Amino acid sequence: MTSLRTLIADEDVRSISRRYFISNGFDGTLTSIGIVVGAYLSGVTDGFTVFTIGLGAAVGLGTSGVWSVWEIERAEKQAELLRIERAMLTDLQDTSLQQRREGARKVNAVASGIGPLIGIILPLLPFLAHDVLFSLLEATVVAVGIGVTVLFTFGAYLGSISKQNWIVAGIRMGLAGVVVAVLNLFLPG
Amino acid sequence: MAPPIRRLVLDVMKPHEPDILEFSRAVADSEGVDGANVALIETDRVVQNLKLTIEGGDIDATAVEEDIAGLGGTVHSIDEVVCGDRLIDQQDTPQDH
Repeated sequence: MTSLRTLIADEDVRSISRRYFISNGFDGTLTSIGIVVGAYLSGVTDGFTVFTIGLGAAVGLGTSGVWSVWEIERAEKQAELLRIERAMLTDLQDTSLQQRREGARKVNAVASGIGPLIGIILPLLPFLAHDVLFSLLEATVVAVGIGVTVLFTFGAYLGSISKQNWIVAGIRMGLAGVVVAVLNLFLPG
Repeated sequence: MAPPIRRLVLDVMKPHEPDILEFSRAVADSEGVDGANVALIETDRVVQNLKLTIEGGDIDATAVEEDIAGLGGTVHSIDEVVCGDRLIDQQDTPQDH
């Protein structure tokens, strides 16, 4: 079996994992912002309730992230192997090539699942301090702030690896969090 | 006991991955192999052709071929074999000129 270190050193594995991680992390963070603002506007009175609702979303999006990528990458990597097999005129099952794809698929799926967990759970944390540190309104504002910061971090990271201005790239991503929060204010419910 | 194989020259086709560095290391690590020289002959969109020269005290040709297959490669032909107690190089004859 290809070692984890070898897999992570592979730029292709890193690149695909990064896409899933950021894409699903982005989904998760915006979902979390939507949940906290929606919960506050709906009149939920208990911070822990908001946290547990959010956890439900984390379980859903986390499972979706792992499961969908597991299946997507099964098909993509198998198709890629078939292309090479056609060129090589040989069966490549049980070769290091196939095992490496199998390992890469696991790394991709885990990265895809971790993204939404981080994106959802971090903004929910202020609700655990409801009645201790924050009122519900304060917890909601801090949660939106954390969400925007997580999005900014995703954007800044993407900016840094692509030699863009990381601050601008971070702001572009972070802006999405503000938009979702504002949209929730004006939408019914 | 059969005389040991001391040098093998193989024509190998492999996918781009694993790269030639990793491929060379894996082949050099095969049973009875002391060293390997891997030269890129041709590169295609999906595959590469290599000339693989390996030397050792007692090369296990089957194990080498299995290791190459394990890396996703195939041996197209065995182009040279040197076996016996000493390494003998091919000699030029008048007909070669």
